[in-house]
Amino acid sequence: MRNSNYKFDWNVIEKYWPEILKGLIITIQISLVGMVFSILLGICLANGKLSTNLLIVRISTSITELFKSIPLFVLLFWIYYGFSLKFNFALTEFQAGALALGLTGGAYMAEVFRAGLLAVPIGQLEAAYAIGLSKMQSSILIIYPQAIRIIIPPMVNIYIGLLKGATIVSVIGVSDMIYVARYVSLETFAPFELYSLAGIIFISLTLSISGFVYFLERKLGRSKVDG
Amino acid sequence: MNGTTESYIEIINLSKSFGSHKVLDNINLTVNRGEVVAIIGPSGSGKSTLLRCLNFLARSESGEIKFQNRSWSLNSEGKRYKGKKYEKTLSELRSDVGMVFQNFNVFPHKTAVQNVELGLIKVRKMTKNSAREIAIKKLEQVGLGDKINQYPDKLSGGQKQRIAIARALALEPKVMLFDEATSSLDPELVGGILEEIKRLANTGITMLVVTHEMGFAFQVAHRIVFMDSGKIVEVGTPDEIRNSQESRTRAFLSAIL
Repeated sequence: MRNSNYKFDWNVIEKYWPEILKGLIITIQISLVGMVFSILLGICLANGKLSTNLLIVRISTSITELFKSIPLFVLLFWIYYGFSLKFNFALTEFQAGALALGLTGGAYMAEVFRAGLLAVPIGQLEAAYAIGLSKMQSSILIIYPQAIRIIIPPMVNIYIGLLKGATIVSVIGVSDMIYVARYVSLETFAPFELYSLAGIIFISLTLSISGFVYFLERKLGRSKVDG
Repeated sequence: MNGTTESYIEIINLSKSFGSHKVLDNINLTVNRGEVVAIIGPSGSGKSTLLRCLNFLARSESGEIKFQNRSWSLNSEGKRYKGKKYEKTLSELRSDVGMVFQNFNVFPHKTAVQNVELGLIKVRKMTKNSAREIAIKKLEQVGLGDKINQYPDKLSGGQKQRIAIARALALEPKVMLFDEATSSLDPELVGGILEEIKRLANTGITMLVVTHEMGFAFQVAHRIVFMDSGKIVEVGTPDEIRNSQESRTRAFLSAIL
């Protein structure tokens, strides 16, 4: 791209936008599947960290720290190639990508869930017990609904991270937006235009999500959690 | 007070420690049906912990609690209750024992009426309609008839505490526990809540009231328990306690009154 003869050709966008759009849908799909997995894993790990059993606490903490520290890129290779080579258990590119996103996201979600659950005052649980609610009822009816107000804004921020992280899955051949951009630019010799388009789409996506979080924070902030 | 046929709550040799610190040291107390017992004493004397042991928000390490001659601490084989089966017993007990907390602990994500009807629906298994009917009635009784659909964050501390009282009363408890119910209130709101508790005391419900409001305790209670350092120093009628010869009781009362 240092070649000064590079000529901008914005027409490629007009020509290839349906392909780019298809890639975008794959990106969103894989990030959403990864997010669902993150939430489930996050809930399990958070409850594990808050357990009274020291062994469960240690295991949950170790898993959290492990997946927080493995680069997504490396995790992706381990899952996609490692699994199939070592265990003869082949995941599709999409499954491997979603799993890697889910494990990384889940580690971050665990922290967010734990903080959210701890932010609900202990008196709430005592009051729930005092009217005769069981542990399960108290969690579902009293603690979780209050924690979710605290959890949603950081949770959406984790999703933004996963959405951007999803661009990495192209390296194992998931035909996401970045994959399409690279593929098309090999044909058209217009990488700058195509990657810029991908960038602009990402920026507008994340900015709208951030705007939504801001709106949520203001709305949820009005009914504060207190005794 | 032992030996009366009316003995309703029996606390026998109850002890609890936090680490090496004995919060409750061999507590023995019997409460009769319909009796109002005020528990007074300096901060850290264990009075709140004693109250919390009664509905098992705090667990005693040794000793026993009996309600109407049935042990709530030990199962039929004399072992301490444990595990899943215990949870059902606990739920049953707790719904019969209403508790009002210092910090109100109303549920902020539920309206006043939802706060009150929750236990009726989930614990008493009532239908939504009949639960709501009772909840509204209870809120009217505590003077919140016009606030039933308000969320707690729109209400004053006194109003929140009224919701908490209505929430406890809705389950028709046999015993009410008040844990410093007025200590977090603005001074001008204390009187109203004390009035509410006094009115309740006159209905004949059995009550244990932990309080720093001495005037109130001496006026409302049938008996007063004075605690210090995890021990019951003295139990007596308000007159007996007021004229106590016990030096610790005298010191405490003269510092406060």
